[in-house]
Amino acid sequence: MTAYVIRRLWQMIPTIFGVILLIFFLFNWVGGDPAQVLAGKISNPEQIANIRKQLGVDQPYWYQLWVFIQQVFTFDFGRSWSTNEEVSRILLTRVGPTLTIMVPVLVIETVLAVLFAIFVAYVRGTVTDRAIMIICTVAMSISFLVYIIVFQWLFGFILGWFPVQGWSESFWKNLLTYAPLPIMLAVFVGLAPQLRLYRSFFLDEINQDYVRTARAKGVPEKRVMLKHVLRNALIPILTNIGISLPGVFVGSFLLEVFFSIPGLGREIITAVNRSDFPVIKAVTVYLAVLTMIINLLVDVMYKFVDPRVSFK
Amino acid sequence: MILLDLFTLNRSRLVAICAALALFFAAADALAQKKVLRMAFRTAETGFDPQKVYDRYSVGVCENLYEALLTYDYLARPVKVVPLVAEAVPEPEENGTRYTFRIRPGIHFADDPVFKGQKRELVARDIEYAIKRFRDPANKSPYEWLFENKIVGLDELAERAKKPGARFDYDAKVAGIEVRGKYVVSFKLKEPDYNFLYILAMPNVVPVAREVIEAYAADTHAHPVGTGPFVLKEWVRRSKIVLERNPDHRGYELETRYADSSDPWDRRAMEALRGKRLPQLDRVEIYPIEEEQPRYLAFVNGEHDLMDELHPQFIHQVLPNGKLSPALEKRGVSVFPELQPEFTYDSFNVEDPVIGGYSPERVALRRALVHAHDRTQEINIIRKGQALPAQSPVPPGIVGYDPEFRSPATDFDPTKAKALLDMFGYVDRDGDGWREQADGKPLSLTYKYNSGPETRLLAELWVKSLANVGVRADTVAVQFADLLNDKRVGKFQLAGSAWTADYPDAQNFLQLYYGPNTGQSNESRFKHPDYDRLYQKSLGFPDSPERNAIYREMNRLLLAYAPSRLGVHRIYNHLQYPWVKGYKKHPILYTNFKYLDLDVAAQQVAMR
Amino acid sequence: MSAVLTNPPTPQPFQESPGVWALAWRRLKQDAVGMVSLVVVVFFILMMVASYFGLVASDWSKEKGVSYANPSFMAGAENLEAAAMAQKQAASKAPPVDLSDIDPLAPRYKEWEERAAKIAVTEVKRSETLPFGGDKWGRDVLQKVVKGSEVSIFVGLTAALFATIIGTMLGAAAGYWGGWVNDFLEWFYNIFTSIPYILLILAFAAVATATAKFGKGVLPIVLILSLTGWTGIYRLTRAEYIKHGNREYVKAAQAIGASNWSRMFVHILPNVSHVALVQLSQHTVQFIKAEVILSFLGFGVPVDMVSWGTMLAEAQNELVIGKWWQLFAAGASMAILVTAFSLLTDSLRDALDPKLK
Repeated sequence: MTAYVIRRLWQMIPTIFGVILLIFFLFNWVGGDPAQVLAGKISNPEQIANIRKQLGVDQPYWYQLWVFIQQVFTFDFGRSWSTNEEVSRILLTRVGPTLTIMVPVLVIETVLAVLFAIFVAYVRGTVTDRAIMIICTVAMSISFLVYIIVFQWLFGFILGWFPVQGWSESFWKNLLTYAPLPIMLAVFVGLAPQLRLYRSFFLDEINQDYVRTARAKGVPEKRVMLKHVLRNALIPILTNIGISLPGVFVGSFLLEVFFSIPGLGREIITAVNRSDFPVIKAVTVYLAVLTMIINLLVDVMYKFVDPRVSFK
Repeated sequence: MILLDLFTLNRSRLVAICAALALFFAAADALAQKKVLRMAFRTAETGFDPQKVYDRYSVGVCENLYEALLTYDYLARPVKVVPLVAEAVPEPEENGTRYTFRIRPGIHFADDPVFKGQKRELVARDIEYAIKRFRDPANKSPYEWLFENKIVGLDELAERAKKPGARFDYDAKVAGIEVRGKYVVSFKLKEPDYNFLYILAMPNVVPVAREVIEAYAADTHAHPVGTGPFVLKEWVRRSKIVLERNPDHRGYELETRYADSSDPWDRRAMEALRGKRLPQLDRVEIYPIEEEQPRYLAFVNGEHDLMDELHPQFIHQVLPNGKLSPALEKRGVSVFPELQPEFTYDSFNVEDPVIGGYSPERVALRRALVHAHDRTQEINIIRKGQALPAQSPVPPGIVGYDPEFRSPATDFDPTKAKALLDMFGYVDRDGDGWREQADGKPLSLTYKYNSGPETRLLAELWVKSLANVGVRADTVAVQFADLLNDKRVGKFQLAGSAWTADYPDAQNFLQLYYGPNTGQSNESRFKHPDYDRLYQKSLGFPDSPERNAIYREMNRLLLAYAPSRLGVHRIYNHLQYPWVKGYKKHPILYTNFKYLDLDVAAQQVAMR
Repeated sequence: MSAVLTNPPTPQPFQESPGVWALAWRRLKQDAVGMVSLVVVVFFILMMVASYFGLVASDWSKEKGVSYANPSFMAGAENLEAAAMAQKQAASKAPPVDLSDIDPLAPRYKEWEERAAKIAVTEVKRSETLPFGGDKWGRDVLQKVVKGSEVSIFVGLTAALFATIIGTMLGAAAGYWGGWVNDFLEWFYNIFTSIPYILLILAFAAVATATAKFGKGVLPIVLILSLTGWTGIYRLTRAEYIKHGNREYVKAAQAIGASNWSRMFVHILPNVSHVALVQLSQHTVQFIKAEVILSFLGFGVPVDMVSWGTMLAEAQNELVIGKWWQLFAAGASMAILVTAFSLLTDSLRDALDPKLK
């Protein structure tokens, strides 16, 4: 097992290198020149060249790439070009708000999706099943943007149940006042696809032989569902949660923009708009590494949960 | 026994408890009585090192943390320069090439650990240091141009610092900055400049303490230490800025000398602030919100106390038919309409092979484009009526503005455009419905703009307007950095632009077409010898009928040769709730926190 | 049995056993929901074709109505925007500045005036209401929705097609060849999936706008979507090719001398095409929704075109001022098509592979 883990960690290196290359060339090739934005209303080419020199973008490509690689391994990406804030500090302070929204979303969504999916699997094939599935499809077909605009207007403005936007310093105030509307929105939108997916997991299990055996033994249907099917369906469900974990860290930039939440998603957009390369580099590398590690953890956990799986 | 003692409510204990409760409620009461103003900025800030920022909100905060030598009177209109830390506004000496300031003694910087517990007094050396900072390449100051080719000896010092490996020598003497004694500083300029006083009234041309800058060299943005009435209490970048009143500040009083008693805003301000020691606000909480809808809803919901710059999108809800909506009127909201000292325009690249040039054919093409553009729709639909058509680059309220100057050359007139195009050979010869160039080559124009919802509408308008007269056009949306670069190097045909006053003089606008400014602010790359000659001549005059006559000639040339399409001067509407007192939006100053008062009781009632 | 040759039986007409597609079609016909969805999708596609050829909505960009014209069923409701537009600006009283002494056009002023006078001025009457209301320019929302459907569906379909082609080719290569080809493509895949999707989109969008020279119209946005969206298809196709690569029929094909290319695309591909089709369908839906987000970010279709995305981006601030029709029209038509397409995809999948039901 250790050999497997080590091999997987070893394999991450070429991938990280590939990520570095891709991001580097994409943003150097087409990312706008940040010096233009920093230079002010009136500046001459000399001043712009000076800014470029200070940012280090006047160096030859291979040199900049080498600096980038060093930064990855020392975890130090320097300072943001537009705000001069330390990049690591930026990331640390932005992750908090994103998680405050996304973790409750993940938890609530999963619990609700599992509950609904069990119910729907229980009544599979009936009109209720078909109707719920169609409602899900319809719900999924409306653009997230439309949901945000309408919900913010309806709940924040017309009904006044929640503040329209905002964020504070206190964690509890955030969780109880500012987060509920975005969380509700995200759950509402994300529930439908999760429900469909989990329903298919449950149905896969229900069609297995061991379920038929249990029923033949006379086990009541409810017990079959909750004790046998649920437990086995948990494997793909947990895998699915694992796969969506990296997304929890990136957050939803649409939510963050509309609700003025100082999170990571919004930070990425701002950084790209300002050609703030240190922030872009740092976010990409950290998230890539995080994704790879989470994938590895999910695979390892899979092995523990399902002894039939062997490592290649 | 001891335990029993503890729980015995004897008299002395009772008194102690009452005292504690009283103190507690007093503190809570005091806290509740704090005057806290909450508002939003439309874009995020950068930081608070005054020599390093140029975006309006960073500069706006600096306005409150630092004090310049001069400032503008709060109430006077047209704007009037008055002293702030200087004792008086100096008269220009030696034909406008020398200005001497005497700083008031007894002004201190806000406390900071760098001062080691001592009170640090403001001295003339501090403004010398600040000006030098503008030219230090390490600061990459966006306002370096203010002091380029301006002060005797400064350029040479800056040149020395540009050599590889050299650092800016702050200890070197600059001939043009004479520090005479502790409080006097005299500037000697290379050329006469009658706008120099405006420069020293800018909120980022402020004295700073050298030891503070050097101590916090790694992050001067986060450690602003000035002599201003507020200090930076809290800063969560791009999320929250909190200013608190500096209790050690000497305080101000409202100057009413220049007030206009017939102006209701002046009257209300005087009534609210008479005799009070300013600033009255204890705390200002600022939240950057970039999306328009959330910002608007936040104000309407009472989460903010005032809203600057209501987006035109909401104008018909807030001001139906020009009057305040009943819903807002019921809540006592006030509206301050402000014609900002700025103008929007579209640059034509006068060096472009298709539309550039000074020959009658090319001038005709550009003038036709100007006539074809539907400025009426721009004003009514995109700007929701909150704009005045520009007749020249100079907006109303700026020194040198001529209210009599107007010309049909800027009017929307598609028939004139079509006639002009027909006359000079831009006709459709191959029958595809689009006009070609005079020599038969296809004619297709490209409009570059910064991608965004409003700019996209302006681009749409161009395409529609030109299609209406038979000229094919397409648009390219680019990133902001790329647009700036393309405009600087002339890699565009038509591009959207705008200019806001740095100081309230027409020269700041007319320099946009001065030949030598090509590659910097002269986006059109317009190089007309007559225009340049007139511009140089105008620099030698203070505001006077002679200078106005020169400006008139320059404006006529701009209309004739059309290096750009003049757009509009935008009107901004600022909203305040009734518990905000003393409000009057200043055209040049960015914020007015120093002059606001809050009726806390009314604010609490409304927030409930 | 005698070994004597008897007359060979008269040849019966050769009865082909129905192929997988015919069987699938039969199953689909029995699925009521699937058939309804199919009808809806076909309707939209017909509308798209009609719109492309200018049969409907060809003058969608004509400003027929006043600004924010009310829908016909709300005729008479207040329209503050149009009222404001109707108020004429007060003409300035100052005498116009004379440019004739410096104007290069001065010599031909007279000719200019004469020509301008001869040009006919056509005043277009703008109507107060439109069937489903007007947008800020006074364009008909209903026509915009039809035209927008054309563009959005086109973008979704072509992007999905490109993504499917890319994903299938790469997946086939990885699954069939294995070895270093597989390793390289896996590395490539890992890079794409490790980078956060939003960053990938923004990066490619920046590329697409910077290289605008070869990307006009909807090509940039199609490229952005397809170059970032091929990964799921790649994964599935690769798995299928691994599964099929070891099957007997492939070995048989090899035995009769079929080349590698032939085996990959003539023999195996038809057997995995149902997977590709379902993926194509799913990705069309996904890309139609993604186009909305791209339009919101400012990377949508160019200014002279309209799509659901641009309509929704415009409608952002319209709801709060009471103009709900553009938001509703674009949102609803998109919802209907996407629902129909999704249900059709489900039914297609069930029909093609009934074991999965």
